[in-house]
Amino acid sequence: MANIRAFTMPKWGIEMTEGTLAEWMVQEGDAFKRGQTLCLIETDKITNEVEAEFDAVLRRLIVPAGGDVQPVGALLAIFADADDSDADIDAFMGNFKAADTSVAARQSDDAAPAPAPVAASAAPAPAPTPKKIETNRPISPEALKLAELRGVDLDPIEGSGRGGRITYQDVDQASRSAAAPVLLGVAELPVNLDGFYASPLAKRLAAMHNVDLSKVKGSGARGRISKADVLALVQPAAPAAAGFLAPAVPVDNRPSVVPMDKIRKVVARRLTEAKQTIPHFYLRMNVRVDELLAMRKTANLVLGTKASINDYLIRAVGVALARHPDVNVQVHGDTIHHFAHADIAVAIASPKGLVTPVVRAANTLRVDQIAAATKGLIAKAESGKLSFADMEGGTFSVSNLGMFGLDQFDAIINPPQGAILAVGGISKVAAEGENGQVRFESRMGLSLSCDHRAIDGAAGAKFLATLKGLIEAPEGLFA
Amino acid sequence: MANMMYREAVLRTIFEEMERDENVVMLGEDIVGGMGTAGGPEAIGGIWSTSTGLFGKFGANRVIDTPISESAIIGAANGLALSGKRPIAELMFADFIGVSLDQIWNQMGKFRYMFGGKSKCPAVVRMAYGAGFNAAPQHSQSVHSLLTSMPGLKVVIPSTPADVVGLLRTAIRDDDPVMFLEHKALYATKGEVPDGDYTIPFGHARLTRAGQDVTIVTCGLMVGFCERVADKLAKEGIGCDVIDLRTTSPLDEEAILDSVEVTGRLIVVDESTPRCSIATDIVALVAEKAYSSLKAPSVMVMPPHTPVPFARELESAYLPSTDKIEAAVRKILAWR
Repeated sequence: MANIRAFTMPKWGIEMTEGTLAEWMVQEGDAFKRGQTLCLIETDKITNEVEAEFDAVLRRLIVPAGGDVQPVGALLAIFADADDSDADIDAFMGNFKAADTSVAARQSDDAAPAPAPVAASAAPAPAPTPKKIETNRPISPEALKLAELRGVDLDPIEGSGRGGRITYQDVDQASRSAAAPVLLGVAELPVNLDGFYASPLAKRLAAMHNVDLSKVKGSGARGRISKADVLALVQPAAPAAAGFLAPAVPVDNRPSVVPMDKIRKVVARRLTEAKQTIPHFYLRMNVRVDELLAMRKTANLVLGTKASINDYLIRAVGVALARHPDVNVQVHGDTIHHFAHADIAVAIASPKGLVTPVVRAANTLRVDQIAAATKGLIAKAESGKLSFADMEGGTFSVSNLGMFGLDQFDAIINPPQGAILAVGGISKVAAEGENGQVRFESRMGLSLSCDHRAIDGAAGAKFLATLKGLIEAPEGLFA
Repeated sequence: MANMMYREAVLRTIFEEMERDENVVMLGEDIVGGMGTAGGPEAIGGIWSTSTGLFGKFGANRVIDTPISESAIIGAANGLALSGKRPIAELMFADFIGVSLDQIWNQMGKFRYMFGGKSKCPAVVRMAYGAGFNAAPQHSQSVHSLLTSMPGLKVVIPSTPADVVGLLRTAIRDDDPVMFLEHKALYATKGEVPDGDYTIPFGHARLTRAGQDVTIVTCGLMVGFCERVADKLAKEGIGCDVIDLRTTSPLDEEAILDSVEVTGRLIVVDESTPRCSIATDIVALVAEKAYSSLKAPSVMVMPPHTPVPFARELESAYLPSTDKIEAAVRKILAWR
């Protein structure tokens, strides 16, 4: 029986229903190893690498990179061994049925005597009818089942179990076509290295790379030289000559060319698309934060929290969004999705690049709860442990670069969200007091980027006015 | 470089070590070789000729013929070792660890641990092991699996004259009890022995054939069998790493895992019985630490789980052979 396997659109997180194949790292006909990156799949929230779970060959590439969105379970490619015939693969593709991963389908599986399924697509594919085998030979129940299922003749099998009992492994082996192992052959045995306290592989590597073992310091137990010690001394191959020579310049300033990694490529493409296709408009406003700064000190003491200004800001945005549902939206083609709660994506600069995990229902959370949520998300972002569930969704984004001392900036909308708030730093400015005198105030620069397809200027401005009111009179944040 | 027999390598090393260190003493049954006979103490020579001439050179205080009591031999060696000597005790047959097991297992291997590291027991117990001589179950056994399972003992199984010299020097100079197993069928084999006072550290396997398709782990007499199979298969382009463990306690895990990570196929060839053995130990090690490298299930080439038979035909059917090892290589390569 050929070792043919279907590669289908994976399901990352319970809400994932579809994904796009962003890039193939292996091409049709390529052999790949377990652990090798096969492709990059993009969902509406994250982009992730898919690693091979076994060694095989990509025999058929069905969905090319950059194509249409594919539902979860859709056939993307066929993996098989190099010697599996094309006819077998065609037959396999012909018989392939996408697994229905919908909740309804899973529930109908659980129901014991299922009544006739409502949806025809939920009906299970007819299984091949196993052919009953009668035998007196000792055989494990699972082995017998497998033999019946695959129609394996038991007579030639020599049982490897105790007393000749036939195991599952025996039947599985008998049902496969003969193996033609790829031989790597004999290797050179190092000579005259007997006196060195080194592992056999370390000696072989030393002989191969002309490493003088007497100069190697062993890192193993009692100073034993291991393969890693030798490999550390092997000079990496000289880099290939550069493809072009830059014109002579007094100071060498040729660029070191770093190709974008796969994640960055996808982020770049999506941001370009957002900036090019979304009609952005920007509303800028300075807000007074003296009261907020003062209140934060007392409130943090009372709540026993170390909530940052950003956490207060997220609380204020959450409350303002709850009052202005026309800004708390996502844009999907010709439809606008409105949400009851404000799921606020927070932009974080992680070691892997920009990530935007989501604080859920921020409008319902107290400041200390928001602080706890952001603290957890930042820790996960820094250790690269953010999951699909942390990133997925989001109805509005907040990006804060205030800590770098800039006054104000404009952000690019993170689709399908309708708006993003860019937060600048706090600075002391001279302002006119109530009686015309000059006084100093702490002010923060805010800039709201809106998608004009869903949010009109007035709607955005009203939201920003509410936000300003909440920040300048922060008692409202504790309502 | 000198060409010598395995038994000569044993004798020469004991001789040199006794010359080098007056604390080295030897004791065992009939090691003087003729004590009490008409021809004089050394008229006949010991059964394995591994002590010939020692009595004449070092005298009765350092070369001690003992009564036929293995418990007494090992017990006396323990006492000598605890009081500062470096005894080399000889068990004529490895099978006799059975009668002296309390001294080996409960005393020798535990002194260092029971006295908080304040005592040491630098004794070597040499013993002839192995089948193939039609010597029946009580004089043919391979006991290294049993000894390896006992903490506190080091277990050494040299396969060549050069390894005998390097490993026996290490054993005698080591401050812990060492079980030194010499295969009867190797005594008359010859090999080159390097000059100089070299030693071979324990836990340091020797790669005797290099190849990238199958890893064969073995020790003692079986090393030569595996080398012959590897040489034959090399002509077909099948490459075998043959790893001579040299010591089963400590075990050179690194050499085994490094090799299996390249080949993905493990065969263990051993003469001891299969249950709870050094072979199952190595197969388990690889299953535990190199699982993701394996391309096929590991194969053990071992006798069946029975005592060594007496009848010649049964004994040769019982033991691993080059044919069985070759069949194992072909079987593991045929895994699909």
